[in-house]
Amino acid sequence: MTEIDLPHRIAWGALLLVALLAPIIVGFDPYLTHVGIIIAFNVALATTLWMIWSLGVISFAHAGFMGVGAYASALVLHKLGLSMWFGLWIGAMVCGALALFISLPLMRTRAVYFFMASWAVGEVIKRNFAYFKDFFGGWDGIFDIKPPVLDLMFVQIDFANRTAYYYLALLFVSLTVWVVYRINSSRTGMIYWAIHENELLAAHTGINVFRHKVICFTIACTLVGITGALYAHYQTYISPKSFDIWKSEFALVHLIVGGLTTVGGPVAGAISLTIVDEVLRASGYFRTIFFGVVLIASVLLLPGGLETIPRRIRAIFQRDSHK
Amino acid sequence: MSDLLQMGLTGINLGLMYGLIAIGLTLIFGVMRIIQYAHGEMFMLGAFVLYYWTAEFGLPYWPGVAVSAIIIFGLGALLQVTLFRPLQGKNILYSLAVSLGLVLIISGSGQLIFGTITKGIPSAVTGGVLIGGAYLSYERIVISSVSIALIVGLWAFLRLSVTGLAIRAVAEDPDTAALQGIQTKRIHWIAFGLGSALAAIAGCMMGSLLSIVPTMGFLATIKAFMIVIMGGLGSVIGALVGGLILGMIDSVVTTTISGDIALILSFVVIFLILVFRPAGLFGQNWE
Repeated sequence: MTEIDLPHRIAWGALLLVALLAPIIVGFDPYLTHVGIIIAFNVALATTLWMIWSLGVISFAHAGFMGVGAYASALVLHKLGLSMWFGLWIGAMVCGALALFISLPLMRTRAVYFFMASWAVGEVIKRNFAYFKDFFGGWDGIFDIKPPVLDLMFVQIDFANRTAYYYLALLFVSLTVWVVYRINSSRTGMIYWAIHENELLAAHTGINVFRHKVICFTIACTLVGITGALYAHYQTYISPKSFDIWKSEFALVHLIVGGLTTVGGPVAGAISLTIVDEVLRASGYFRTIFFGVVLIASVLLLPGGLETIPRRIRAIFQRDSHK
Repeated sequence: MSDLLQMGLTGINLGLMYGLIAIGLTLIFGVMRIIQYAHGEMFMLGAFVLYYWTAEFGLPYWPGVAVSAIIIFGLGALLQVTLFRPLQGKNILYSLAVSLGLVLIISGSGQLIFGTITKGIPSAVTGGVLIGGAYLSYERIVISSVSIALIVGLWAFLRLSVTGLAIRAVAEDPDTAALQGIQTKRIHWIAFGLGSALAAIAGCMMGSLLSIVPTMGFLATIKAFMIVIMGGLGSVIGALVGGLILGMIDSVVTTTISGDIALILSFVVIFLILVFRPAGLFGQNWE
């Protein structure tokens, strides 16, 4: 909410630089590039969820809306024959329109009941994909969603190449994080946090709480719809299972482990936990057990999340200098 | 006519079982204001304790249910003291995260220890009776009566006993309750253990009716949360009514249309209930 200061600027710049150089550092290794792309999607998912959290609620329909964007883009490709460059925006618009339509009744519910109502929305979205077999392909999903080709007259970039797709994903994720950050540090963002702190008080200072909630939810879902479209064209295959409750829950876990007060929290949480998850991938059932242990340990031993680490380190040195 | 009766009887039977799982959850939520996402795992563990008791050691059924309830009571109390107590009074998201971690740990180790093969618990009673053309097995009658007995028993316990009064006082206002000399920490682990034990008993009942796998907890959690939210968090009557509504939808829509539609419809019903009554059917409105 305050103007960004120098250490934060350096940290964000360094992160972006590392992200830009990452494929070169790992020597264009296909698997590690894939991990990078997954990290990018998770960062976008967690960051947009954090935007809804700035209203004081957590939406379990988030993966569902990601699915709406993915399915819209895939169907635009299959039924209309338009490439991802159209599907991306059509997916985002469909997602935004649906989010606007649903949030009108959804935002009447509050606190814990909002979790459940949004969970119901997410499940119904997923079940609809599964039920209407002819249109959405049922549980089998949609196959053969081609990645796009960018034709720049003299060079052609085929995004079937992983490194190329990595930079595409990085571009959109950086834009997403930037948009969320800008909204959050603007006057509108302050209004969201006012609603977060005390809805009644916010209403009494002249804030139209309901309208701001609906707008914030719609923006966040539109952004996650874009991420969904990118996800569909990267995996080239989507099914209702890709967008179930677990995806929303893991986004929430990224948020909690990362920290809830700044946009750095979800970014840090998504990056670190996706890496932990990939490291544990080879260990079978132990993977879920270890992940659970990491989750519980980080909540109990590091309250406030990863974003408080710099402050903790600084506190250690300050304590020493005072003595 | 007999079809309708059959659907109604199955619906009530399912509803009572769902209600039993949900009442444990609503008790935990009402007293501690935490989201216990691993409630379904208690249900699963309860069923497996009974499985090992009857199928592996060959011991009788009913003592096994009691043993299972006691073991899960202890486990629930232990979890409350070690994991959930430090989170008391913090944002509800932290308890959600910790219990989500528990879900991963318990279902992961369950698959590792119990194996992923579907198992069955031998039923305590066999046979059945025809009522007006609808078949009702004695097993379902027993399960329904156990559910009713436990729900009435819990209601009486909360209304009549001193500990029950203390639990309700802590649910109402923990600080004022503490000022009256109630040990809130003790009440917390008792309520948590009791809620988990109810889930374990429901698991024993369900386990002999259906089959048991280590991953069955998740579905139970979903059902329990749907019911509790529909009925209103912290309300025992609400959990019973919500359970019956969900049981009816499951029974009627699954037989007449399909199982997928039953699930979609139940989520739509919950959504509509929450939109028109934002605190559930019987819940009080609190922040």
